[in-house]
Amino acid sequence: MTDERELFAQLKDPKQQHAAFGLIVRQYSEQLYWQIRRIVLTHEDANDVMQNTFLKAWNRLDSFQGESKILTWLSRIAINESLDFLRRNNHPTVSTEDESSISQMLQADPYFDGSEVEAMLQEAIATLPDVQRSVFLLRYYDEMKYSEISQILNTSEGALKASYHIAVKKISDFFKSRD
Amino acid sequence: MNEEKYIEEQVGRRNPFTVPEGYFDTFADQLMASLPERQPRTKYVWLRPLRYAAAVVCVLAMGAMTWFALSSSPDVRQPIQAEAIQVSSDVAFDEAADYAMIDNYDIYACLSEE
Repeated sequence: MTDERELFAQLKDPKQQHAAFGLIVRQYSEQLYWQIRRIVLTHEDANDVMQNTFLKAWNRLDSFQGESKILTWLSRIAINESLDFLRRNNHPTVSTEDESSISQMLQADPYFDGSEVEAMLQEAIATLPDVQRSVFLLRYYDEMKYSEISQILNTSEGALKASYHIAVKKISDFFKSRD
Repeated sequence: MNEEKYIEEQVGRRNPFTVPEGYFDTFADQLMASLPERQPRTKYVWLRPLRYAAAVVCVLAMGAMTWFALSSSPDVRQPIQAEAIQVSSDVAFDEAADYAMIDNYDIYACLSEE
């Protein structure tokens, strides 16, 4: 794995940046994909959003000054693109009346091999507002530290901890109400 | 019970999503082939701070001119204040006269006796 500083220097050099960008796509695309996929849910949409994410990163290379890790910077763009995608495609926070459609859609999706309970978890997550949804996904599935999530979402660690606990409570109540 | 633990016991942390076979192997090549040419940054980037400085100077200059214009003729205000004081004392006198139920003839008579 290329050293972060070395990679950053290559990204800033016009003669090397294309190759360097190819390196970061290969290095980080899978990790970014799953962050995106858990928000937008389908493979087709995740693929579109990931392409937009890297395209945006390519166009914004000049404005990235190494103030964070490359993956943190990319994750920030990916999460924002994912949430913007949901807003543009009229996927507001799912209301309780629409919950069953998410679960049914997922169980019919060839690229979802989860159980009914796992589909229900995705339903519950889809009811959360943006920040709660994002911090829950990054913390629960990626087991990311609050300090890292804070850099991605540009929110204080205290606010993130509160959001996470609220999200956990809501999801827990969601399951208990269906027991 | 810890609610996070409750969720983990109900569902686990397994990733239930999958991708088409070979997706990640081909994604990078396809993306890099579709990347547009990067536009070089403008050569005159060094001018930007100068532009910002010029804008600040303009705003300060306009503010100073406005301040000087407003504070340049203080004498204009004094006659207006004197007139305002005169008007209010006349109004007070009229009100007092109405309350005492005296008219102008009574006032003239009173004044002529002095």
